[in-house]
Amino acid sequence: MFPLTDRPGWQAAGEISLLTRPAWEQTLAHLARSDEETCHLELSAVTFVDVAGVSALAMTAQGLPRGRRIVLEEPPTTLRRVLDMFWPDLLSVEVMGR
Amino acid sequence: MTAPSVEPFVHPALFYRGEEEYLHGTVPFVRDGLKAGEPVAVAVPGPNLAVLKAALGEDVAHVKFLDMTEAGRNPGRIIPRVLRAFADAHRGTRVRIIGEPIWAGRSAVEYPACVQHEALINPAFQGREVTILCPYDADRLDEQVLTDAYATHPLIISGGREQPSTAYAPEYVVARYNQPLEQPAAAEELTFHADQLPNARHFAVEQAARFGLSGSRLEDVALIAAELTANSVVHGGGSGVLRVWADGRQVVCEVRDQGDLNDPLAGRRPPARDKLGGRGLLLVHSLADLVRIHTGPDGTAVRCYIGQH
Repeated sequence: MFPLTDRPGWQAAGEISLLTRPAWEQTLAHLARSDEETCHLELSAVTFVDVAGVSALAMTAQGLPRGRRIVLEEPPTTLRRVLDMFWPDLLSVEVMGR
Repeated sequence: MTAPSVEPFVHPALFYRGEEEYLHGTVPFVRDGLKAGEPVAVAVPGPNLAVLKAALGEDVAHVKFLDMTEAGRNPGRIIPRVLRAFADAHRGTRVRIIGEPIWAGRSAVEYPACVQHEALINPAFQGREVTILCPYDADRLDEQVLTDAYATHPLIISGGREQPSTAYAPEYVVARYNQPLEQPAAAEELTFHADQLPNARHFAVEQAARFGLSGSRLEDVALIAAELTANSVVHGGGSGVLRVWADGRQVVCEVRDQGDLNDPLAGRRPPARDKLGGRGLLLVHSLADLVRIHTGPDGTAVRCYIGQH
């Protein structure tokens, strides 16, 4: 996980699963504490996200104060499908691309 | 107010012979519910859905209909994604559901999962203001299926008469159908530990593709394999064996480990939307066409059947 240089947020690569979950959750914790209204997660180089990874994202999104949101850039399709299955009406997450 | 000792969950089986008995047992059930202001859902196989819709006339507008052969193709997802999905959306009022999970076309491989599902409805809805009526086609189902229905339902309606079942024993049914899974003639196999989890997932997807799955079904295989193998690492002794083979037009993906899955409702309880864990097996049940489980002190095998839709 690396901070983005041109907009608030982070970039991830590889897979988000049991072995890499601590780094993902740490990033989400940073995101939750941030003052930025919109945080971007650039996920075009992410190959797979498991259910626990999507759950951690959904928990973070649900805990954001009103007005703040997360923009997912090019997440893998599995992430989108799991979000739709368990949190179809999560307003604080916007998905762009892929 | 009912006395606190009365169980609010009502779960009768309806044995029907022919269309007339089917409608006689179901139409008044739906109409009584609507009259009482109760939300009503009907989840039955397509042909019975059509018969019931035709008989209900204008009342269809107030009933939620689902084809059970699709929504409940895998019996393991009926409790969380059909029954509780409807009941939880209408908390604060009694709801009525007609659920027909066992029909004459269910295979011998599916049946143990079907009857375990019927048994598990009882603990899953204990204490809830819910009525679930389960029709059984007494003309076309095996005698054993009807015998089992006496064990999985506290009430039996047959020939128009309702009686308590004297053979009600749902825990016994869950245990009896916790059967060893028959070995396939041949399978591709991989032993995995924590650091091989990504390999195990890639292996499952490669084999499933070789056996004919494609597109989003391969993504489903990846999600299923990831959950099952991670469960083995976290709860099943740290390692497991993944096997993949073809059975007719379906791909079978199985994970065995040293764990003992002693909670039969695991994967059948939808967690609150603000709860972090508890969605792994639920996802597996939601995506697979059938999940068979054999578990005990010697270990657990979870076998998923995945067809191209």
